[in-house]
Amino acid sequence: MAQEADFKCLRCGHQFKLPFDPKGPMVERACPKCLSNSVRRMKEEKKK
Amino acid sequence: MMDVGRHPRIKLLTYSELEEVSGYVGNFKVKVRKKARYVDENECNACAECFKICPVAVPDEFQQGFSSRKAIYMQLPQAVPSAYIINMEDCLGNNPIACGKCLEVCDKKCIDYDAQDQFIDLEVGAIIVATGMDVYDPTELDEYGYRSFENVITSMEFERLICAGGPMQGHFTRPTDQETPKTVGFIQCVGSRSTKRGNPYCSNICCMNTIKDTVLLKEHYPDIDIKVFYMDIRAFGKAFEDLFRRSKEAGVKYIRGLPGEVVEDPKTKGLKISVENTTTGEVEQHELDMLVLSVGVLPRQDGASIQKLLTLSRTADGFFMESHPKLKPVDAPTKGVYFAGCAEFPKDVKDSVTQAGAAAARAEIILNADRIKVEAITSVVDKDMCTACEICYRACPYKCIEVDRESKTPAQIIDAACAGCGTCGAECPFGAVTMRHFTDDQIMAQIEAILDEDNMEKAVVFACNWCSYGGADFAGVSRLQYPPNQRIIRTMCSGRVDEEFVLYAFKLGAPIVLVSGCHFADCHYIDANRWTQKRVEKLWDKLERMGVRPERLQLEWISAAEGQKFAKVMKEMEEMRKKVTKEEVEFTKNALKDLKFKKAKRLAKLAADKAKAEKAAV
Repeated sequence: MAQEADFKCLRCGHQFKLPFDPKGPMVERACPKCLSNSVRRMKEEKKK
Repeated sequence: MMDVGRHPRIKLLTYSELEEVSGYVGNFKVKVRKKARYVDENECNACAECFKICPVAVPDEFQQGFSSRKAIYMQLPQAVPSAYIINMEDCLGNNPIACGKCLEVCDKKCIDYDAQDQFIDLEVGAIIVATGMDVYDPTELDEYGYRSFENVITSMEFERLICAGGPMQGHFTRPTDQETPKTVGFIQCVGSRSTKRGNPYCSNICCMNTIKDTVLLKEHYPDIDIKVFYMDIRAFGKAFEDLFRRSKEAGVKYIRGLPGEVVEDPKTKGLKISVENTTTGEVEQHELDMLVLSVGVLPRQDGASIQKLLTLSRTADGFFMESHPKLKPVDAPTKGVYFAGCAEFPKDVKDSVTQAGAAAARAEIILNADRIKVEAITSVVDKDMCTACEICYRACPYKCIEVDRESKTPAQIIDAACAGCGTCGAECPFGAVTMRHFTDDQIMAQIEAILDEDNMEKAVVFACNWCSYGGADFAGVSRLQYPPNQRIIRTMCSGRVDEEFVLYAFKLGAPIVLVSGCHFADCHYIDANRWTQKRVEKLWDKLERMGVRPERLQLEWISAAEGQKFAKVMKEMEEMRKKVTKEEVEFTKNALKDLKFKKAKRLAKLAADKAKAEKAAV
């Protein structure tokens, strides 16, 4: 099963989970709420 | 195909695979693996004595498994060259207790069980990719009962059954009882136009193939009752509508609706299907003797290896992407590579032949030229600044940079192969690579001009030439309204947007910076925009570390057809711009006041090294 990671939309602020494979090819990501591509992965320290 | 085989200036390498490709347009070096046939194709005269005596029988792939072939066989009756081939996985001849019967009967002694694959090196000027297609396997669609019910077949299997050269010599019969069916159904869009199962795209050829099949069937068997279940019929080509009309006039019933279930009568092996006729709105039951699934087209399974060998790009569907859908529909993004047929997208014979002709003509231009003209927009390396770190080589989607880290040979751009995305320039950590017509200085000057006055009122937008800038253009011609505060800086690819450009814009007081490019599947420079995303992600971290809100740097993928999206994003940028305070901008300017460009840093380092060397010499 694909790993998931936390992402945050830098447009609307929505936080959500998406499949994420650090070693896999880069994929186009979009915020499920506002469809923006300014989607940033939240690393552990950022979540805190 | 025979003409091609006999042509004195065409070297036909059948049963061969591409192993390696290097070089660039006009100067490709290609290594081909010519797989062992175990039969000398030059000596074999296809007398078939070997075929007759071979004791092995396996399903014949060409006949869709409706008949068998031998271990020594011809792949299809009109195969070129007309010579036999041994499938060693089926053959008993290689066994220590050998069969060897074919070897005994071959008068010309052209069978060699120990034959090996050969490697052929070729120098070619252009490459045409015509790797064809695969067809969808409908086994996963349980409701249609393919493989569960013998009388449910695919359109490919139908072709073999109705073909005069097929296993039934053209006598169309049911697989279960070898009787001519009285009722035959066709289901359209099997594996096509579905986002859940199969593929979302239209396979282009299935509607006309079914219409042709129904006309053929009606001509041979006028009494057969034929029903076609469809979503909509796409008969858009020359004379296609006529054929559709002929089919309907011949008595073929077209029912708009796709069956939800197929059930088999275990005694008669007849089929019952339930379908909602969307024209009448009623659920109908139909009894059929045979059902043909009109299966869709898939990209070739080996597409990934061809993509890698030729540095091509593929769309989300898996088909190879052309350089430009309107202006360069047969050109690959890699110069000197062209597409023909279904390798690029599903198409019928006529379109495939047209595209093949166009590809041959495009290749001919290169082959006839002593010199070729290339776009002036290519990267250029300052050799004094280059440290041969190879980062540019890794970033280049076309691998058109020659550099050797070990021998410290500075990077050199192969102009003929460079497509001008500028990713190498953006990735170079020493400012050694820039791009003609889109130099660092030119882009910086644009940023300065934008932010020279009323910086708080403006958002800086980097837009790639092919998609985002096209989206802006489309928004304009569509008369879509959006706030006028955005200032667009065009680059050929978003991959060109150096992190320094973004930081420089913030340093000069930009409240918002947007980096926009093509969607991943549409990137006109293979995968250059993946580097953009990577770079923006790094910048978000960097800005945050500096105490700058990462939200002020935005990323968006906008295609040339998305004028509406462009206008929407511009409105959103304006909303975000309004929320940026003057204090924030001043803080950012202050945080970036000591920003030194990588080129300046490298120059300082070179000057220091030089001074050190001079001192040591003294």
